[in-house]
Order: sequence, then structure tokens, then C-alpha cells
Amino acid sequence: MNLPDKRGYFGEFGGKFVPETLYLCLEELEAAYLDAKKNKEFINELNYYLKEYAGRPTPLYFAKNLSKYLGIKVYLKREDLLHTGAHKINNSLGQALLAKFMGKKRIIAETGAGQHGVSAATVARLFGLKCDIYMGEEDIKRQKMNVFRIKVLGANVIPVKSGTKTLKDACSEAIRDWVTNVKNTYYLLGSVIGPHPYPMIVRDFQSVIGREAKKQILKKEKRLPDYLVACVGGGSNSLGLFYPFYKQKTVKFIGVEAGGLGKNYGASSLLEGKIGILHGTKSFVLQDDFGQIKNTHSVAAGLDYPGVGPEHAFYKITGRANYVSVKDNQAIEGFNLLSKLEGIIPALEPSHAIYYLKELAKRQKNSLVIVCLSGRGDKDLEIVQKYTKK
Amino acid sequence: MTLKEKFEQLKKENRKAFIVYIPFGFPNIEYTNKIILTLQDVGVDIIELGIPFSDPIADGPIIQEATATALKNGANIKRLFSQVRKIKNKISIPTVLMSYYNPIFRFGVERFFSKMKELDISGILTVDLPCDEDKNYLKEVKRFGLEPIFLVTPTTTLERAKKITKNAKGFIYYVSITGVTGPKVFKFDDIKNHIQNLKKLTSLPVCIGFGIHKLKQIKKILAFSDGVIIGSYIVKFIKENYKNRFFLRKLKNYIKFLCMK
Repeated sequence: MNLPDKRGYFGEFGGKFVPETLYLCLEELEAAYLDAKKNKEFINELNYYLKEYAGRPTPLYFAKNLSKYLGIKVYLKREDLLHTGAHKINNSLGQALLAKFMGKKRIIAETGAGQHGVSAATVARLFGLKCDIYMGEEDIKRQKMNVFRIKVLGANVIPVKSGTKTLKDACSEAIRDWVTNVKNTYYLLGSVIGPHPYPMIVRDFQSVIGREAKKQILKKEKRLPDYLVACVGGGSNSLGLFYPFYKQKTVKFIGVEAGGLGKNYGASSLLEGKIGILHGTKSFVLQDDFGQIKNTHSVAAGLDYPGVGPEHAFYKITGRANYVSVKDNQAIEGFNLLSKLEGIIPALEPSHAIYYLKELAKRQKNSLVIVCLSGRGDKDLEIVQKYTKK
Repeated sequence: MTLKEKFEQLKKENRKAFIVYIPFGFPNIEYTNKIILTLQDVGVDIIELGIPFSDPIADGPIIQEATATALKNGANIKRLFSQVRKIKNKISIPTVLMSYYNPIFRFGVERFFSKMKELDISGILTVDLPCDEDKNYLKEVKRFGLEPIFLVTPTTTLERAKKITKNAKGFIYYVSITGVTGPKVFKFDDIKNHIQNLKKLTSLPVCIGFGIHKLKQIKKILAFSDGVIIGSYIVKFIKENYKNRFFLRKLKNYIKFLCMK
């Protein structure tokens, strides 16, 4: 089965729920992307930058201390070793090249934790594009270093003061900018959310994670893994890992959502949300009975979003993936666990996935697991320091 | 009264439509009905009543702020319907509900349309729902005999405009600019060209909205269209004046000035 279908749907999820002004540019984007995908020059250039600039392929590292501790065999897909410190660069390189191919001179992006903002600002420098980054005021406060990094890179950070002042509002504001400047501006969306074709484009650019991991595990273990585990906010690092294994049904997918402070005080859209439409796509959305979008909370800014990619919604409904939730304090535990056992400080987002391994190990001794270590923890040190003092 | 009937009446009287948008529940829930009746009194032809949404991606700061206030006041679809029911017999002009899709989807499309029918509200404009995105929406809107309004914008191709005009009833809402709601500067010749092309495709009236905030703009726009829609500018006026004890009288005079009565 080819997903999404021609209209941009994954089963009943996805689509293009946008003001009419954006309709044409979504069609143009889709056409440009489908062209680029077949264009040798585009593919070669992207592969060149992924390798020489971003540092691909990333290692699939056998975490022997962690494995011994848990009693399962854990491999870490080391996206944290990439330039800019997270998987976001895979997608940003792809889309910035696409923007260049489309002749756009300016890119805009939304950011939560600031990782996508940093990667967008980085590729803007690389390809000589003007760059504006929308970021919620709340996130600006809790991710100061990334804000400064974006500025050092010569991009402009536009604080978003509306709504909850977090990622969802940054996303709304970026869409408003795009509606206004649609002719010369490319919207570099950072996750597998938004209207079609974005969920497809971002997934495809992130799939390099899973394609590499598959080759690497077959070489190292001579077999496919039993489990793939990754954190899910919008869902791009997880889908990047999962998607290339979609047809191998023996490989089970586990997506770990942010449980925040507990039920109704987190950001677990797939577990606690209802079907709805947010930011151009139909998926699971945290909302009240009248369709108003709920406030979310997570210690990991990158997971603090009330929606989730439509392809994840499809994986949930069809049972292809299983979704679980890990709370703030547990994520901190995961953060410390990996730091202490392996000498690898993870970002708080994949710390959710690391913690879940403890749960998995209780039930599935001796299984073979790949975890997507989507980013490094430098950006979160201050948060963890404060959290630990509490 | 349906939009179709209204535009037939306007045609007979050789008049253009003056359409006003207000968000339900702003500045508070009780005031909305008073504002609606005042607007009707002073000769507004059609009222667009906005359903507040937490993430209004097509709206600028003025309407964003007003809808946030409305939500704080407890505005929701259920309360909108129960408030409108109170003045149902006093409203003689058509009302259009304007919403983002999620509140309607959550409420249930069929249930929503049947409530509209019950309250004689015939126009529905869902800002983030392109005309061909949801077949069920189109099917149900037809079944209930409502008038779905869709946007045509400066980026809409001729091919796409054909599809939109085929699915639309009531009137075509032409968006004057590429951008969100709120005060803007216009290129009138561009707008005029678009409208003339659009007129070749459809016999539906074409009304223009987004960004209109000057009497001069209204005059120019009415010269080549069938109506004008004012939103943010009225919302701003309400925000700045509703605490005044003569607010409704002031609003009346202000609208009279804008619709040149």
C-alpha cells in the first residue's frame, strides 16, 4: 500500500484543511517535491550534504552497559551525533534544497525546543536564504541557548505572544506568515504534521534514519529487531525510524508520548486525544468537548504539542504501532540512566524513550531493540538542573 | 431569509450588500444579541457570526484577541445556538456562521447543520475547509438545504475557481489580499481584474472581505463587486467603545457612516 493516497490521506487521517490562499502553494510544493524525488541532481546534492555536512550515516551503537542493566539488547541510533545535535537537520537539509530548487528566497519555520529552529537557521546559512523563526515566548524562556544559537546563525527569532505561547502557537503564527508571504516564502515545517504534502515530505526526509538502521542491524545481528522505540511529539524521528520497517510485521513499533505531570496534564495526543483538525491535518488532537485545543505540558519542549502526525494516527488505528506515555519525572530518570551508564547525555525528548526501555525489559527479556536517540542533551542541562533541585 | 432571497431583494432595490462580521461572545455573551439587533436596525444586510476557535490561523491580531476573550467568556457552539434562539423571531436578515472546521467537526457536522436549519441560519463558511476536502460536509450541507460559502483568493487559479463556484451557494467570498484578517493596503486594479474573471464563471454574487478599514476602500470595492464584508475594523470599534454607556448608539452612527446611510 502506498501512503498517503493521492489526496494526502493515511486512511481517514491527513488531508489539506487550509484557508484557500494556501491551496495553490501546497499543490506547487507537492509537484516540486515529486519532481525533486526523481531528480538525480537533487538526490546527489542531498546525499552529499547529509554525509559531508551533517555527518551521516550515524552509528548504530550497541549500548552494552544499558543492555546489561536492563537484560535486553539495546542499540542506539545516534541521531544526537549529527551536526546541530538532533535529527531535525535531515529534514531541514532536504526541504531547504527543495526551497532552493523552487526558487524561494526566504524560509520560515516554527520551533518548540529550538532544535528545528537551529537546524532551519543552519541550512538557511548554508544555502544563502533569508530565515525567520517563530517561537513561543514560553519556549524562548526555557530554551535560551537555542535562541542564542539561532541568532548567532543570523536568523531572526520572532516571539509568539498569542495563545499558550508554545509550539502550537508558533505553528499558527508561521502559517499566518506563510498565508501572507506565500509567493516568495517557503515554510520549512519541522515535523510530520500540517497539511499534505508535509507529513509525507518530512517522513521521507527522516526515513534515512530507519533505512540506515535496518542495514546496520542486519549487518551486526544478522536479523531484524523485535522492537523499535522512539519518542513522539509531532512524530518525525519516530516515523523516520519506523517507516522503512513498515512491511516487516515482526518488527513491533512503540511510540512514546509525553505524559507530563499525569493524565490530562501532558501532551499524549494519541492516548488521550480525540480525532480532530489542527494545523491543516486530521489526526488525534487534545481538545475539549467543543473542539477548542487544550493546553499541553511536558518537561521536553519538543514534545509539547497537542496534535500528532496523521500517519501515527493511522498506525494507531490499524494497530501497526503501539503508543505509550512516559511522565516528566520518568523522562528525567531516563536522562540520568543513559548519562550514567553509557556516558551519553540524551535530550529530554528521547529520554522518554530511554525510560520506557525499563518497562519493556520487564516483559520482554532478551529482546532486540533499536531506540532512536533523536538528540543530545546539551540544550536541556539547565532544565534538568532546576528540576533536580526541586 | 436565505442569502439567495437577500441578494434578489438587493438586486431589485439596486443596492450592494453591506456585511458585518462579529465574533460570538465578544465583548461578552449577552452583548452579542444586542449587537446583532443593532446592526440589523441600522441596515446591515447580512451578519457573519464567528464561532471562536483557540487557534484561528487565518485571523490577524484584532480577531485573535477578540476570540480569545470570547473563549474566556465561555463562548461555544452550544451557547451560540441557545443565544440565537432567544432572538430568532426578531432577526429578519440572513445570518452566516463563520468557523474553523474543528469546532464543527467535534460538535458533529450533521448535528451542527440540523441546529442551523432549526434556527433558520442558512449560510455557513468554514475558513479552513477547502471546497473539495470533505465530501460528507458537502453532502450534508446539501441535504439540509443550507448555503455553503467558500473563499476565492488572489492565489486561486481559474481551474480551481470553477470548482469552488460550482460547490458554493449564497455568494462568493473573495479575499482581497494574500494574508490574514486585519487592516491592509489594496491594489484595486488587481482585485477588480480578479472579480471580473470570477464573474465570467458564476452568476453568484461576489462580495469582498479581509483588510477593509476605510470608507474610501468600501466605495471603491462596491463599484465592482456585489458587497463588502467588514470584520476586524468593527471588532476594533467594539473593543474600544463597548464600555461607553452610549455604546449601541455610537455603533449605530458608526455603521451608518460606513454604509453611507
